[in-house]
Amino acid sequence: MLISKEGLRKLAEKLLGEGVQVAAPTERANQPVYAALRSADEMALEHQIARNSFKEFLFPQTEVVARFTISKGSVHLASAGAEFPETVVLGARPCDAASVASLRSVFTWKGEDDRFFTGRQDKAAVVTIACTKGDGACFCTSVGLAPDSPQGSDILLRPTVSGGFRAEALTERGKALVAGADGIFTEGDEELAPVAPPPAAESADVERILGWLSDTENYKDALWAAHAGKCVGCGVCTYVCPTCHCFDIVDEGRAFEGERRKNWDACQFDHFTAHAGGHNPREKQSQRWRNRFMCKFHYYPTKFDSRGCVGCGRCIRVCYVGLDITEMMQKVTTKAAISAQPSAKS
Amino acid sequence: MTNIYLPHLVTIEDIVEETPDVRTYRLVFQDEKMRESFSFRAGQFALYSAFGAGESTFCIANPPTRKGYIETTFRRVGRVTGTLADLNIGDTMGFRGPYGNWFPMDSFHGKNLIFVAGGIALPPLRTVIWECLDQREKFGDITVVYGARSVQDLVYKRELEHWNERPDVNLVQTVDPGGEEPGWKGKIGFVPTVLKEAAPSPDNAVALVCGPPIMIKFSLQALGELGFSDEQVYTTLENKMKCGLGKCGRCNVGDIYICKEGPVYTTAEVKNMYPDL
Ligand code: SF4
Ligand code: SF4
Ligand code: FES
Repeated sequence: MLISKEGLRKLAEKLLGEGVQVAAPTERANQPVYAALRSADEMALEHQIARNSFKEFLFPQTEVVARFTISKGSVHLASAGAEFPETVVLGARPCDAASVASLRSVFTWKGEDDRFFTGRQDKAAVVTIACTKGDGACFCTSVGLAPDSPQGSDILLRPTVSGGFRAEALTERGKALVAGADGIFTEGDEELAPVAPPPAAESADVERILGWLSDTENYKDALWAAHAGKCVGCGVCTYVCPTCHCFDIVDEGRAFEGERRKNWDACQFDHFTAHAGGHNPREKQSQRWRNRFMCKFHYYPTKFDSRGCVGCGRCIRVCYVGLDITEMMQKVTTKAAISAQPSAKS
Repeated sequence: MTNIYLPHLVTIEDIVEETPDVRTYRLVFQDEKMRESFSFRAGQFALYSAFGAGESTFCIANPPTRKGYIETTFRRVGRVTGTLADLNIGDTMGFRGPYGNWFPMDSFHGKNLIFVAGGIALPPLRTVIWECLDQREKFGDITVVYGARSVQDLVYKRELEHWNERPDVNLVQTVDPGGEEPGWKGKIGFVPTVLKEAAPSPDNAVALVCGPPIMIKFSLQALGELGFSDEQVYTTLENKMKCGLGKCGRCNVGDIYICKEGPVYTTAEVKNMYPDL
């Protein structure tokens, strides 16, 4: 099955016409960003990867979870969010598509179903365009993914030599999307464009990293402060990260009427874990950076049984002090290799 | 849609001013069905909200053996607790819970129990103490070592008096040096020191310790010196919490999410955690 670039535009147009929310790569302020399309012409598919992830369509940056009014001492409380929009992510990258399962693993952990996430995800389909190459920051191949990995995609589109795509519907949702788009997908086959996977972060071995991180002694290793010392705690890495899930719950509004919101938050902020009494278990910025790394490579795989990092490289691209998560992966791999040698232990 | 963040509405039925900045609220569900169906275990916590200010985490301080209401004790420290503390009898609050794990009460049957608490950290043990007293025959000796900075800072004063009079409770009260008042009949000294003097036997016993970090540290040391093993000593951990459901990402001690996997741990378990406290 094939689809052309023009076909993708038509698909977007058709979906928009049906009132479906279409999230796709666009250009906003000269930056490639996933945004809700206002028109199909806004789609900008020529970029390697958007600056943001599309998680905001499943886990909005701010979301009302309840509304309340207070009058004469009595409170009226109403749940929010019963209805979520039908959404199609058009032109996702394979790393981002894979991240949806990671977020879901947190938002359904131990049977606690956050319907604000799952309700949205249940109504969303992901149409992914496989990559043929990466940029300098991509490292999907180091975390068990690939430029054309199908995980999390309902439809996977692989670029062909002629500039169109070979399409494969991988799920029922994907098949339904194809079935509803008559004439846009066409029968046939075409040669695929060659794929040049990004080189795996040199000697970064996710299994070895997990082993080293699992030893609580290594939590105190000087490596953490040495690597993350320059982090300024801006938190941007967490905002652009497709798997970062932390949030705050806050009340907003006027004295007698307001709403309770779930807002993105970041483990990189100094107030994040600060107790009301003043104590802060993660007082230093390097401890907060360590938490993020641990979360990606230890907590996600061992607690939530999913991938904490999909190798999208966004945190590397945005960090303005130049912190590179793959550098730390390599350093940890090296440390793990050294401490695995019996002679080093005695 | 099931909304896991939606609180239940509760009415403040009674208020006790424990100290100038600590209050105990007795709360009743406004929904009749909730009032009947609500149950919890000793050691669990909840998120309490002042609408317009937000939510705060405190333990449930009454015992599961007393049904139909919830009691919670908290100190005025920030915006949310400040707003909560300004409420009056009859006012409405929000309540989400119960969350977290609990003390393994069944495994305490037949054992001698030693409760060690400091300051505002008596509430998480008060729930256990009353559960034991309500089924007194199931447990051995009960010793409570409780201290605060000053006489004024002791919470549950009326209950302390009651426990003091009971022949089946051995209550040791203390205040830090300088915190005594004329007529103070308790001890003067820090909790760990007083605990060591009281010298409870580790034989067939468990100790439950709650308090400020420094008190916990030295009390655990004292218990160790008295011969208690790390498996015999329980404590509750505290961290900032927002969701209580293992999602907001802030209560973790290394790979342990206190809100879902805690707050009750043995010292042995705490020692195995990442040094992230
Ligand atoms: S940690 Fe960095 S590279 Fe990994 S998924 Fe998040 S933003 Fe992408
Ligand atoms: S790692 Fe970089 S982007 Fe992330 S908080 Fe630190 S300075 Fe900001
Ligand atoms: S309080 Fe949100 S994860 Fe524990």
